Amino acid sequence: MNKIFQYECRRLMSSRFFAGLLLVVLVYGWQVLTEVTILGAAHTAPFSPWSFGDYISRMLPLLWAGTQLFLTAFLSPKARRTEALTDVLQDSCILYALVRQSAVLAGTAVLALAVFGEGLVFYGLYFHWYEWRTLLSPFFLVLMPGLVFGLGSGWFLGQLKSWLVYGWMFMPFLWRILPLPDAFGLLSGTFFSQYPLTLEKLDPEFTVPGVNLLVQAGLLAGGAVFSLQGKNRRRNQK
Amino acid sequence: MKGIFLCFSQVQRLLLRPGTWLTIFLTVLSPLAGLTVYQPASASTMLTKYLANPSLAGGTAGGIIFGLFTIYELDREKRNRVDVLTEGAVSPLRMSWVRLLALTGTAVVTLAAAMVIWLPITGKLTGNVFAGRDYVLAYILFMGFGMELSVLAASAAFQAAGRGEFAVVLFAVFSGLSLTIWADNWQLCWLNPSLWAMSDDFSNSRLFREIAYMRLTWLAALTGVWAVSWLCIRQYGKGLFASFFWSARKVYRPFAAILLLSAASAAYLAQPFYDNSNPDLSAAVLDHLPLAEGVTCLSRRVWVYPDTEKGAVDGRALYQLRNTSGKEQMIFFGVAPGYRIISADVNEKAVSSSFSGDEENNMALWKTVIPADEELELVLEYGGFPKEWNILTLTPGTPEISEEYLCLENQNMAPYLLNASSPEDGVRAAIEITVPDHMTVIPFGPGQAEVIKDQGDGKKTWRYEGRGFGGIVYAGDYLCQEIEAGGIQIQFYYGRKHQKVMEEAKAAEAIKAVVNYCTSHYGALSFGENGRLKLIQSRVIGGGYAGNGASLLDEGDFTAANLNNKEKGAVPGEVMIHELVHQWWGLANMFDEADAGPWSSEGLTVYTTYRIVKELYGEEYARKNYLEQWKEETKNYYLNFYVRNPEYLKALPEDKRLDIANGLSSLLHYSEMPLKILKAEQLVGGEAAMDQILSQLFNRELDPAYPFFTYENFLDACGLTEEELSLEQDISI
Repeated sequence: MNKIFQYECRRLMSSRFFAGLLLVVLVYGWQVLTEVTILGAAHTAPFSPWSFGDYISRMLPLLWAGTQLFLTAFLSPKARRTEALTDVLQDSCILYALVRQSAVLAGTAVLALAVFGEGLVFYGLYFHWYEWRTLLSPFFLVLMPGLVFGLGSGWFLGQLKSWLVYGWMFMPFLWRILPLPDAFGLLSGTFFSQYPLTLEKLDPEFTVPGVNLLVQAGLLAGGAVFSLQGKNRRRNQK
Repeated sequence: MKGIFLCFSQVQRLLLRPGTWLTIFLTVLSPLAGLTVYQPASASTMLTKYLANPSLAGGTAGGIIFGLFTIYELDREKRNRVDVLTEGAVSPLRMSWVRLLALTGTAVVTLAAAMVIWLPITGKLTGNVFAGRDYVLAYILFMGFGMELSVLAASAAFQAAGRGEFAVVLFAVFSGLSLTIWADNWQLCWLNPSLWAMSDDFSNSRLFREIAYMRLTWLAALTGVWAVSWLCIRQYGKGLFASFFWSARKVYRPFAAILLLSAASAAYLAQPFYDNSNPDLSAAVLDHLPLAEGVTCLSRRVWVYPDTEKGAVDGRALYQLRNTSGKEQMIFFGVAPGYRIISADVNEKAVSSSFSGDEENNMALWKTVIPADEELELVLEYGGFPKEWNILTLTPGTPEISEEYLCLENQNMAPYLLNASSPEDGVRAAIEITVPDHMTVIPFGPGQAEVIKDQGDGKKTWRYEGRGFGGIVYAGDYLCQEIEAGGIQIQFYYGRKHQKVMEEAKAAEAIKAVVNYCTSHYGALSFGENGRLKLIQSRVIGGGYAGNGASLLDEGDFTAANLNNKEKGAVPGEVMIHELVHQWWGLANMFDEADAGPWSSEGLTVYTTYRIVKELYGEEYARKNYLEQWKEETKNYYLNFYVRNPEYLKALPEDKRLDIANGLSSLLHYSEMPLKILKAEQLVGGEAAMDQILSQLFNRELDPAYPFFTYENFLDACGLTEEELSLEQDISI
């Protein structure tokens, strides 16, 4: 399985498509940093975890779309034509599916790290600020649940109908404009610009209420369940 | 011939698909979003609400729909795995052209359908301000180009990426940038033009020119990108680069792409609409020029010839100078960016005149050396297309110079002499301006214009006199209503199309109410020999100004839409109130504009506007729209990270630093200072006590050496200190 994982990773990440997507993500990220993040979120410093979280949440839709695009490499009708062969060669279909999803996750992680690194470059250039460890919490808190859920749900939907993945790609753009409850603020990005103002303290420490953590945990768990569910469903159908 | 045949068959094929009809249907429907959920233009004029917003929504939504449809259509053959067959029959390069033309044609048909369907609706909603020319231009520029550019962008994305899903991402990011990060940059927002208002009563020529320029720049750029992507179309089983080099063997192909991209870059860099003024608003090179020793300007005469077709100006200015220094002197002129001085003559001998390279506050600094003679007549010939100040890119449309309306302000009318002295009673000025004969010329000041010559070619020359180095003039199809209030005679000028709205809005009563309020609370105004105040309705500009004997009234103050706003009671027009109040605070009582601190005429004017609004619209309205906003903005100012940590602001690159600093400083003038005055009002014992103090200050005896109304005057009259009015610790008023 390790070999398959390495092969799938290489297949995803050594393509021009991946390079193009990386470039698009970096260009968009730089625009967000220099036009929006530079002003700081909720009166905090542009390099505060709040402002960085706002930046990350603005990048989430693009990373989500990247995840869905990576999934199409496995879920498109063309890729499906080889499924009959690959399935019989594997001891466990679920394990094979997880390996492929892990490869997608690895590809998305590379994009996410590029986004993180770009943020650090911006802070270094504009503010000579390098305390990157303080930014890890918002980074993981926003991206991990969001992207795992995107991966699992995308995989699940793609198993049903491959074209559903394309529609699912636009989901984050939709939830950014929908009036979601505050509990979904980490997902929609409103949390970073609104919650610090309720703390009635200047430059508050980065904290997240339990209800938001619960939603993020739910997304993470939901993503994991969907990851497994998709393949099981297909096997049951067989 | 084969290409044309293929194109028709492609269109036919497209029209047979339900997907195409769905695309057309959704796009034709999309202007509805501009009436409901998507209203990027915020002004309250009828054309903004019922023409600009629907057509902008149509362009944005229609653009996205057509972009996605383009990718869907281009990917069809690959998706159905028949691409190998079709490429065998027709070259993929030719097919790409054909498909582009077919999709473009479909977009044109959709635009035509949208224009036909929305015409009666827009006509009914806008009523008597509907103008066919505005309608056609708005739909073509705001909507049609949005679709065409999207087809090009999506097609280029597909050809470069070679994969439908990646093309969708590229197109989504490109559209997303326009809708978010680039939305405030008039040249970059390719999908959703930066537009905030359209004029009902006057023309929108400059606005259309700007948007057409942006659209055409992008058309050239995207055609160039499309041409590059066209070379990338995969052929003979080759990859991207191999296909590119194969297609680029014919040199004219990459050459055409480079030419288009170069043209777009040149058009982007050489845009003629906004100047290159120093973004540092606190810079004052023009205010600190060395005074030309012994040089006095006695009078000036100006002959102005606006070109209402091109939106440009030609002119000649004569300055009568006296040079008592006995030597040559360098004199400086502030010239409108976009103009150039064509020739300069002193006593009929040519002298050189050159641009110094400095641009500041929408003035380009030109210099000329005058000889040592005592009596001099300097004649400058100048002209060009005026550029607007680069800080005003979000309110496009000025300076408007058209057959229906023109406004020439200071350096836009004639070069502004910056470093010569003037006689005690000011520089005598005589202005002659030649405009179409249906226009009425209104000087923004005490002077009255009169026709001195009918040119016989549909134009008339008007003449008026004034004082000073600068001056503003308006011209258009105006009506004049005489009003008497507060002991002064007011000439109220407004556009002919606006007559019905002005009467229904009881605009004259509103003006009387404001003038009577200020006169009874602070004192009467005085306007010298003719004792008149002009109130001139301008084209919608989202603000205004006041000068000696004249104030501006924004078109947006009195619109049919405002009449239905019950919240504002019987008297709409807050910009009008603000600019009228400036006659008391800013003109009758002057403020030192060189003072960079937060004390300026704006603070007291905004406070007085609040008081009038409170009286006219009620306490709740004033609290919600003034007090709460001042508090919120002042709080945001004090909490702002860069205000609290200025060292980080200083460390930023200059353009970013100035962007942030300029935004913050306006909060001090328009929000913090009125709040401080309100705090002073509470500390001195309430509104009546503050009115008495302000009345005394308004009528105080002026010091001729320094006639300005200072913050110290205000604090002393209130018996307060600066610290007592500080809001840094507590803004709860």
